[in-house]
Amino acid sequence: MAWLFVRLKLRLIAGGTRGGIDKKVGLVLTVLAGIFVALLGFALLALLRLAPADVAADVLVIVFAVFALIWLIMPLFAFGLDETLDPSRLALFPLTTRQLAAGLFAASVTGVWPIASLVVLLGGVAAVARGPISVLVGLVAVLLTLAFCVVAARALTTGLSKALRSRRGRDAIALAGLGFLVVVQLPNLLVNNRLGPELFTRETLGAVAGAFRWTPPGMAAHAMASDDVVTVVPGLAAVALCVGALGWLWVVLLRRVLVTVDTTTQTSAVRRTKGGRHLGEGRVGAVAGKELKYMWRDPRYRVGWFSAVVVAVIFTLSVGDELGVLFPITLAAILLGLQAANVFGTDGRAFWINLLTFAREADVRGDLTGRQLAHALVAVPTLTVMAVVAGAVTGDVSGAVFAWLAACGVLGVTLGAGVLAATMAPYSVPERVNAFGNTAVPGQGWLPFANAFGVMFVAGALVTPVVLPAAFGLAWVAPISVLYGLAVAWGGRRLAAMVAIDRLPQILSSVSRVG
Amino acid sequence: MEADRTAAVRTDGLVKRFGAQVAVAGIDLYVPAGSFAGLVGPNGAGKTTTLSMVTGLLRPDGGTAYVNGADVWRDPVSVKAAIGVLPEGLRLFERLSGRELLAYNGRIRGLPGAQVDARAEELLAVMDLAEAADKLVVDYSTGMRKKIGLAAALLHNPAVLFLDEPFEGVDPVSANTIREVLLRYTRSGSTVIFSSHTMELVERLCDWVSVMSRGQVVAQGTLDQVRGEQSLYDAFLGLVGAASNGEEGLSWLGSSSG
Repeated sequence: MAWLFVRLKLRLIAGGTRGGIDKKVGLVLTVLAGIFVALLGFALLALLRLAPADVAADVLVIVFAVFALIWLIMPLFAFGLDETLDPSRLALFPLTTRQLAAGLFAASVTGVWPIASLVVLLGGVAAVARGPISVLVGLVAVLLTLAFCVVAARALTTGLSKALRSRRGRDAIALAGLGFLVVVQLPNLLVNNRLGPELFTRETLGAVAGAFRWTPPGMAAHAMASDDVVTVVPGLAAVALCVGALGWLWVVLLRRVLVTVDTTTQTSAVRRTKGGRHLGEGRVGAVAGKELKYMWRDPRYRVGWFSAVVVAVIFTLSVGDELGVLFPITLAAILLGLQAANVFGTDGRAFWINLLTFAREADVRGDLTGRQLAHALVAVPTLTVMAVVAGAVTGDVSGAVFAWLAACGVLGVTLGAGVLAATMAPYSVPERVNAFGNTAVPGQGWLPFANAFGVMFVAGALVTPVVLPAAFGLAWVAPISVLYGLAVAWGGRRLAAMVAIDRLPQILSSVSRVG
Repeated sequence: MEADRTAAVRTDGLVKRFGAQVAVAGIDLYVPAGSFAGLVGPNGAGKTTTLSMVTGLLRPDGGTAYVNGADVWRDPVSVKAAIGVLPEGLRLFERLSGRELLAYNGRIRGLPGAQVDARAEELLAVMDLAEAADKLVVDYSTGMRKKIGLAAALLHNPAVLFLDEPFEGVDPVSANTIREVLLRYTRSGSTVIFSSHTMELVERLCDWVSVMSRGQVVAQGTLDQVRGEQSLYDAFLGLVGAASNGEEGLSWLGSSSG
């Protein structure tokens, strides 16, 4: 049974490469990324061998625990439920829950990332092993850790699968992702902060490791690094017990999920708004109004916006004040502008409604104007708030005004480059379950990267004439930069409309794929 | 073919391939203006692909398509203003309410806002969606989605309406509403082309039928020309070459002995 599921998973991976060179490239890139992560992770962990044994042990404990945490959380946020292995799809087959669990487990450990994870964890063995018995203990600990990661992640997604399938649950999960984003950044923040040197000491490392040692993966890591039979055997036994208990819990949850039906049909009405009416009658106003509604109502958009702001704020806090106000605010402008880099993708399968009205280049241009307008209507106030806060905190009012002007210019440039990317490299954004940001549907994995790097590259090159003089304190550049930004935004959408009008069907098909 | 009636839709050797598979193999479709036309065929016959190409959503690999005499791919300005579309799969802006969706549709077509809102209210009332008008489309049922999609397609009063499976998965009450609206629409001289595989429905509604099978048009004409003396159902089975093969094989089926 397990072997059957492994073959199913392999078939699905292979099936994902059919129907175009881009999909094959996507798989190859995923494999390359997996190999890269595996080798890098292995090498970094193995390097711990050079550290004193107790430090290596402590770091290993923390790394294993954090690694497991990532395994646990990523399926919820970044990759969504593995839809192909959604237990409810298999509910009607005559399989016992135990068979199903064994099969799903086997399928879960098949794939690029599980294998990469195994290699990374094996780096831990390379770091602390001192002899054949130690290697053996290490191997057992690594396998147990991986099993823990998989079973725990599966149990969690199964337990939450009902919530994850409902629209409201998905919306909530998407926002919870932001909390996760902040938490991940916390260590970084602490290290970069002025408090960093005092916090980051041998003692705190020991204390943190001491806490993580009681998590199953931490326990496994601790056992690996230990020579003492009294530590090793009960430690590994405890981890095995945990894996067993979680496995049992998973089977119970699975059984419950398989026999209960979705009952989430309560709906509520939205407020009747005149929103967007003051934006003008025609296409520009309608598109801008719709985009603004989407920014608020669509979790994918909301997450994008909030995370852009969160990242910018985190950056501001972590670089301290050596770089002044200019750098974080322009960074925020770029991140906010990037939200427009796949505007057709967020329309997704509904994009045909717009396409049906695109007869001339001017129609596409009007559409893009509306989208840029909507993004500016959210981004400019956000930048203003940031500038005001920065000015109040640093007391450097003229610096803040100056940074704000430069940032508005940068926003214009990014919006110009963004709509161009939106027509040249549009991609589908999954609508179901997976509500976290701009991950792509299977087979389009490379497109978001191409899109984002394209925007970064173009916007980066175009932004230099604004930011460079500004960074050297040439204040007179700032007002000009706003005009420059407007000009690039205008040019970007002109060029984008020219490109788009000849490849509308291609854009439609690449944003209409179901994730 | 009735040469005296102008064609609402005409294609010359329209071809579409997906990789090695030929979805539409050079078809010459013809639908006279003012007709209520059914495009019928089994799954995979190429109905959806054909409708997508004729409405400008999918680029053909060869051949030409005309709507009201204008080339769909050379003269999109006149074609796109003249057509309304309800594609398969009910792909709509999920996070707009029904009312907002109609308002959006009218405005991006450049209709005056007041006119859009007035028409939207009427359409919502006729489609029996007034109560759900402020709910998000994502929370609509299949029947409601088809109705709001149809309302959006009708809002700008197109001359030709393309509907892909408008009745599939729709409850009888909603189906009746849709049918009434469509009949009223064609009585005014507008053209409806809809794809379906429910022969009874096509027989009852349509005065023009095109039958597709394996990417080809295998029969086309008025309802009576296509069905002849038989029912459309039997004529269809004969045309698409579905010989009755229920007799051979499957001898084990039905005895419940394992």
